Amino acid sequence: MSEPCGRTFDEALISGYVDGALVQGDAQRVQIHLEDCASCRALVDEITSVRKVTISSAFATPADHEWPAEAPRSTASRTARRLGWPVLAAWAILVAGVGLLEAWRDADDLLERLILVAGVSGLSLLFLSVLLDRLKASKSDRYQEVHK
Amino acid sequence: MTSAVARDDEATDRELIDQAHAGQRDAQDALARRHRQGAFLLALQMLGNRDDAMDVAQDAMLRFFTTLDSFDREHRVQPWLFTIVRNQVRDLWRRRQRRPGDGLVDGEALAGQLVDHSANPEADLRRQQLRKSVWRAVATLSETKREIIVLRDFHDLSYNDIADVLKIPIGTVMSRLHGARKQLKAKLKEGGRDV
Ligand SMILES: [Zn+2]
Repeated sequence: MSEPCGRTFDEALISGYVDGALVQGDAQRVQIHLEDCASCRALVDEITSVRKVTISSAFATPADHEWPAEAPRSTASRTARRLGWPVLAAWAILVAGVGLLEAWRDADDLLERLILVAGVSGLSLLFLSVLLDRLKASKSDRYQEVHK
Repeated sequence: MTSAVARDDEATDRELIDQAHAGQRDAQDALARRHRQGAFLLALQMLGNRDDAMDVAQDAMLRFFTTLDSFDREHRVQPWLFTIVRNQVRDLWRRRQRRPGDGLVDGEALAGQLVDHSANPEADLRRQQLRKSVWRAVATLSETKREIIVLRDFHDLSYNDIADVLKIPIGTVMSRLHGARKQLKAKLKEGGRDV
């Protein structure tokens, strides 16, 4: 490929040259051409000076207090935290279940057993409603980790 | 606090990643402090709007930390985070039913976010005016051109890292970057600004 200025390489190499990203052979080819081509030298200069302008720019950045106070937890610690409650709940249900079985066995008459059934179903309903609320909340609040 | 600041300067990203993997919260905080401004700036340069940029940057940091366990420690943090930012920016455009390629950012708004950190802002006025013109012109570039200019000529990413972020072959980086630089140069000429 030949260009009006006599260059025999792709013009993009000029950018690679400015960025120091060329392999030695290409860098040398560009270098040699630049020695006697004013228009390609001008292009190198322009690219270099625009880059100086952009890279030396500073923008207003958010202050520390505008960011969430803590970095969000990584999955490992979130998993641990998420597993914590279900495990605890399972343990509580197990303990309650064993206790209940004992009480059922020890109960002397129908009335005591009825009271037991009523108490357990009341508590289960309560537990279920809290659980449903929590599930709903965790679905709608996608920023929970950030605002935690 | 002092130790956290010292750690910010001394520890490499890789050390911090290892500590964060081991569950050390202050390593995560140090990583966040080190990289969140870059995430914000990339989002700002792509969106041209501070509020959107903050939303994207926060989402990106969140995503970065929730995927930290799958982060390959041989990778570098910045390109990984920038990939996330880029995806979040695209998600935002998609949510707003805007196709990549059909939108420009508000050049005035972007240039308005420039600050002058020079010791003598008055003497540097001309340089700052120049910066404003250049960023106004950057804002008029297509997203594809703008992002590669921003990654190379502001964030100073290597060609390798740019290829990583943009998911393009390394050979394409140089030609795309050069095309973007030529177009930026043409826009500056159009606007009567020779740099
Ligand atoms: Zn030439």
